[in-house]
Amino acid sequence: MGPARCSGVGSGNSGAYTTEIAESLRFEEEIHSIVHPSLDSSPAAGGSFTALLGLPANQAVELLHETGPSEAPGSAAAPSPTGELWRLRLGEHAAGPLHLPLGCSPTFPSNAALVERAARFSVFAAEDSPALSSGGGPSPRLKAEPLDSDSPPLLPIPTEKTQRPAKRKECEKSKAKGPAKKSKSAEENTAAAAKETAAENTDGEKLPYVHVRARRGQATDSHSLAERARREKINARMKLLQELVPGCSKITGTALVLDEIINHVQSLQRQVEFLSMRLAAVNPRIDFGGLDSFLSAECGPLATANGRGGVALDPALWSSHPVTANGARWLPQPQIRHVDVWPTQQSSTAWTRDGPAHPHALLNPGASLVGYDPASSVLLNSNQLKTEL
Amino acid sequence: NASLAERSQRIKMAAEMGLVRSSRGRHWSRALGRRLLQREGITGCGCKNAALSTSSNVFEDLGVREIEDEAAEIGTRVRALQRLVPGGEELGLERLFEETADYIEALQGQVSAMRAMSCLLDGLEREKRMMGK
Repeated sequence: MGPARCSGVGSGNSGAYTTEIAESLRFEEEIHSIVHPSLDSSPAAGGSFTALLGLPANQAVELLHETGPSEAPGSAAAPSPTGELWRLRLGEHAAGPLHLPLGCSPTFPSNAALVERAARFSVFAAEDSPALSSGGGPSPRLKAEPLDSDSPPLLPIPTEKTQRPAKRKECEKSKAKGPAKKSKSAEENTAAAAKETAAENTDGEKLPYVHVRARRGQATDSHSLAERARREKINARMKLLQELVPGCSKITGTALVLDEIINHVQSLQRQVEFLSMRLAAVNPRIDFGGLDSFLSAECGPLATANGRGGVALDPALWSSHPVTANGARWLPQPQIRHVDVWPTQQSSTAWTRDGPAHPHALLNPGASLVGYDPASSVLLNSNQLKTEL
Repeated sequence: NASLAERSQRIKMAAEMGLVRSSRGRHWSRALGRRLLQREGITGCGCKNAALSTSSNVFEDLGVREIEDEAAEIGTRVRALQRLVPGGEELGLERLFEETADYIEALQGQVSAMRAMSCLLDGLEREKRMMGK
């Protein structure tokens, strides 16, 4: 599953999924048919957000193996690794995460062709999904092939709809979950309803898809499915955040992760405050005056050493003027009068040469300061800083 | 000569403006810019309130009481995060996380820039002092 996982995650090209998914599906199915994986692993990412729905992740595991318990609608977070894989691969995709009924059964259908088809369909969904009835994220349509513009998402099952399906049908179904979302079926909580829906399907596919969720008594209306798609998206965003915040990836549990994120943001904000105080302290002449022109003007404001209102100047002038206008990314440079900073006036030719060449470099003003410094060490320092940044 | 507090306040505002400028177009950036403009208008120069509030507890007033309910737990944290990220209070969960990620990146950039700058200036000061003696 390693390679499959790697290939899927993070790729931004839904079209590329097809083969990957098909392959991994086959792969997984083989593994699963051999081994009954223990369904205990509850991936944090998947499980955590079900908390939002109040559905413990473990419940989902049961779903596939029992008949119609009354499970909470919505999130069947898949504790199984394959479920997670599905979500990872398909759920992270930009446009419409495929909300598979995560609890992909460990016993995959043995028919590779069916499996492949299911995969294909689900991937297609992202590309051809017509407008959804539900308000949620775009649900990938299952049926790409004989594409009906209507909502014939469910491939009808000729028979055995109402029976406790063979596991393989469940899996087909679960994989074909996406379109189920579109099967506008508030009433599809019974097998009979499923039959109706299936009967309504106008495509002639004979794949034995079954509206598993309907049979189980789960809510299959567009709302819960849309919600699930939404949650997938949120899940994905949260994972990105986890990667951004150091040390967050190991934490399990939404609340704790959020705590970490909040702490990180707060600490960064505090650092900004602390650093600005440090900057103020390091040189008493650093100040920003005329901030209102700063805040509204396009061109950077200037800080003057003696607190006068700043005037925006053309950056090209800066070499001849002890003033810097900088609207770029970095903190607008405080203008420091060179004569004041250095006891002796030094020729700044070395630096003014460089200056205009890097009008937006962070260290320009720094450079101008350094220009007066005969000590090579400081020069070196600023050079290093320059390259660093 | 202005006081340290005043100057550091102004520098901080400038830093925040740098944040805004560097991430134009982002929802949080626009919100922060608006806040700064307001703040600047109100305070002129020298009031204590900063656009980036650094109150230690974002959870206060949120009524953090139910610890048992997991969903509520998460809810309070989400609300706290909304307060932290400029413009976050009007965002849904998904957008909030997006903005938070971008905001964190921008903050990190700003912090490292300011750190580098203060190091540089610090070094210069030291050199200057050495030279002066």
